[in-house]
Amino acid sequence: MDKTKIAKARPYILLLPALTLAFLFAYRPFFRTIVNSLYNLSIIGKRLSFVGFDNYSRLFGSGSFQDSLSNTLRFTLYFVPTNLIICLGAAMLANRKGKLASLNQIFMFLPMAVAMSSSMMLFKMMFNPSIGIMNSLLKADIQWFNDPKAAMLLLVIAGVWLDIGFDFLLLVSALRNVPTSLIEVARIEGANPWQLFISLQLPLIAPTLLFVLITSIKDAMLISAPVLLLTEGGPFRSTQTLVYQMYLEGFKSGNYALGSAIATVVFILTFAIMLLLLRFEQRRVYYQ
Amino acid sequence: MKKLVPIAATILSLVVVFPILYAISASFFSFSDFTSIPARLFPADPTLTNYTRAFAGTHLARFLANSLITATLGTIIRMAISIGSAYVFAFYTFKGKNLLFVILIATMLLPSDALLIENYITIRTLALTDTYLGIISTSLLAPVHLFLLRQYFRMVSREYREAAIIEGCSDARFLMTLLIPISQSVIITLTLQSFTSIFNDYLWPLLVTNNVSMRTVQVGITMLGFSENLDYGPQFAAITLLMTPILIAFILLNKNIKESVSTRFTGR
Amino acid sequence: MKKTAIVILVLTTLFSFSLFAQGQKETPSEEQPKVITWWHYGSGLAGEATDAIVEEFNDTVGKEKNIRVQAVYQGKASDVLTKLKAIFQSGTNNGLPDLVQLDGSGVLDIRDNEYLISMEELAKEDGFDLSEILDSARLSVTYKDQMIAMPFNSSTIMLYYNKSAFDEAGISRPPRTLDELAQAAAKLKKTDAKGKVVRYGFANVPTTYELIVWLGHQNRVSYLTDKKNGHTGIPTKVLFHENGTMVNFLTKWKDLYATGSLENLTSDVNGAFASGRVAMMVGSTSNLSTIIRLVGDRFELGVANFPMVDENATGGVNVGGGAIYALDNGLDNNEQAWQFVKFATSKEQQLAWHIATGYFPVNAQTYTMKEFQTHLEANPLYGVAIRQLRESDPELQGVWIPSAYQVYYAFQTGILKMLVEDRTPLETSKSLEKEINTYLEDYVRMTQQ
Repeated sequence: MDKTKIAKARPYILLLPALTLAFLFAYRPFFRTIVNSLYNLSIIGKRLSFVGFDNYSRLFGSGSFQDSLSNTLRFTLYFVPTNLIICLGAAMLANRKGKLASLNQIFMFLPMAVAMSSSMMLFKMMFNPSIGIMNSLLKADIQWFNDPKAAMLLLVIAGVWLDIGFDFLLLVSALRNVPTSLIEVARIEGANPWQLFISLQLPLIAPTLLFVLITSIKDAMLISAPVLLLTEGGPFRSTQTLVYQMYLEGFKSGNYALGSAIATVVFILTFAIMLLLLRFEQRRVYYQ
Repeated sequence: MKKLVPIAATILSLVVVFPILYAISASFFSFSDFTSIPARLFPADPTLTNYTRAFAGTHLARFLANSLITATLGTIIRMAISIGSAYVFAFYTFKGKNLLFVILIATMLLPSDALLIENYITIRTLALTDTYLGIISTSLLAPVHLFLLRQYFRMVSREYREAAIIEGCSDARFLMTLLIPISQSVIITLTLQSFTSIFNDYLWPLLVTNNVSMRTVQVGITMLGFSENLDYGPQFAAITLLMTPILIAFILLNKNIKESVSTRFTGR
Repeated sequence: MKKTAIVILVLTTLFSFSLFAQGQKETPSEEQPKVITWWHYGSGLAGEATDAIVEEFNDTVGKEKNIRVQAVYQGKASDVLTKLKAIFQSGTNNGLPDLVQLDGSGVLDIRDNEYLISMEELAKEDGFDLSEILDSARLSVTYKDQMIAMPFNSSTIMLYYNKSAFDEAGISRPPRTLDELAQAAAKLKKTDAKGKVVRYGFANVPTTYELIVWLGHQNRVSYLTDKKNGHTGIPTKVLFHENGTMVNFLTKWKDLYATGSLENLTSDVNGAFASGRVAMMVGSTSNLSTIIRLVGDRFELGVANFPMVDENATGGVNVGGGAIYALDNGLDNNEQAWQFVKFATSKEQQLAWHIATGYFPVNAQTYTMKEFQTHLEANPLYGVAIRQLRESDPELQGVWIPSAYQVYYAFQTGILKMLVEDRTPLETSKSLEKEINTYLEDYVRMTQQ
């Protein structure tokens, strides 16, 4: 065999496992979903007849879907900045030396060790309006699962808690990578903490920050399992998100056509936001 | 100002860790502690019955074993695939490189929940239901890992690798002796993250396991779901038992991560 | 090398668990009994009682006939259904359990499935007399004149009230109608010095579960949809708007809300009731044991018949809960599966089941047992539910409706909108009709050939 040929084939061979997985468990099922959204599907998911965009027009006409769309966008709007500020704030505060600082750091990323299903069960109990610890500690009577606003807030809190471990770890590592010598020099030159942050730390951690931003937008747009375990979309559909509705239509109602249509909408929406962000990244982060 | 930072950090970290501490405390609650008004922070009379109830007549230990096996197996395969692919993208030049990279990274945008039924059918067709491979199949590809690892690998210049290769260093050796040590911190973080995410997966394992002896613990833990009766005791005990080993691992490895991060990047 | 040591330490700790698990493996018996797999959703008290039935069967009848039942808890009723549907979707019957417990929301997905074995047929093959099963329970799983499943965990809805609060407010008996309920609720409402409500009279947001009864018991018996609430075929449209039952109910409901003593709680109602923040609620009779335990000695608990919409609503309540379905998974276990079903619904087992969980016995013979009478005398609250059921019209039945989740939220959201946005009952009824009809149309499209 020709050695250069093998060498040329080498990258492709090395990528084969990843590509196979991407095809089998991502692209194939996804394209099937898109095609299915143009069909009238039977209760067990078999294609009955081609209906074009009929599923979409029924979808956009339904109040349930409008609720899901608005809830998902609202959740993303509340969750993403909250998560970013809290995680960055935590990383800034904990980026110190000493025993107390390392204890702070350990505490901050421990939520990562608790499973999503476990933590949502934990939250459900803690935020129980009548016997939960949260209302008792806050000395409040917040109807976490009955008041639409409180339920949305609860979902944001739960989302931040689920994400803080990993995001914190990434940001604090990034902050540590900012060379201390540079910070010393800036300090000697009389920079205050804010100037230090804006002109030195922020640009250097920008790639990590962007990564956290992208993943949290993605998490927010796709949130479903916490909804399923915590609020079940209630009260009054106020926490019914797109993917959760898709789960309901597909798995609960057997309405695969509508479920596939929602999945496609979710895909387009997520993709559009990501594209926008990547544009922003190219302009701001690399060519600064 | 100087003193405010540690105070604020401590308060925030206590708020963050509170649910975990509360879960541990509540796992020793009796039923009346759970329903007392106002709610209690500490048990009135600590009891171990929640722990015995969580294990009595359940397969919790078996579930735990399944989770550990799938998480370990899944993490090894996932890391191998991620590191291998990231290496190729960081150092090789080949036709369609950018396209293939985008193809792999873009899977990040595909909502896995949307693919659940189609994936389930795939697994059935491959006769992989009720197998460890079936449970881990959908988590083997990790675009986020691939993305991050490529970023780190790129810190090493290509010329450096080419020089090494010319001197007779194989890809595998270059990877093992230089690249992996250099990106040790990120690899440890991602390994931990892989392990916990596979260990903690809920919806997919529920779907692909029919046999009770193949259940993972996150699915099994919902079997202690007495929450409709507000009888949370066994659930809190199980949650505490489950998170404790991982908490310990995290606390131990935390030092490790910090050490390596500070020595690699600040030169001290 | 400290790092390596730590990693090894952690891994050994983790894997010691798996060794522990290995020790739990069951030793296979020499005779290789027929194994019957039963997927169920019993958790908590019901889970323990379920295991008790299975254990007793395996030790007695099972041992004798060489059958072993393996009960597999599959999560909540909706999880069991999700799992079942995933297998149905694959188009084969391999991996199906022999028996599966489902609640009313699952009937639509299973009743026409080719792998469903009619329970009535299994019973007939064995010469079993179906009149042993309570009429209302039997009819609750009857589809096209066939009892397709065996009712197992049956319950109805009833009123729970805080008797101490009633005494304090000077109310002598529980309300019988929504008008009376509104009056009582107004008296029970308590505010603090700042005008903040510290006790509501009643808490509820009606959804399918309540409406089956509140609409259903009007004009003797009414149905939410055509095809007798879906019991004779796939429902194609709702009836509640055109027959006026919804408007009638919503009018009463709006009056109740106008008293300011109704709280729109959709979740944690049990907790709010047990903590004394809400003086009345409606709930399943199967919650009774839990609620007794929750209330503890905070106040005296009372239960009563589910309040009627008005004096003309005399239909009573329907049987809800779940039933056991038999499936053909190719292993030819039907005969053995039936043996277990027969055992689980025998009068003795149903008595034990009732005492442990509060679900009422589906076996008519249980009611004449002396032990049952003694139990009721010692626990009078349980008797209320049973009397209510016996007074009800067996024709009043739950609804088998597609998109049950969406319909549930449609009712919840629609009724809340009426209250907070002050819409008329007529408008609300009409828009509910429109929304739910869409779901029904979707389903018809999906099932067309």
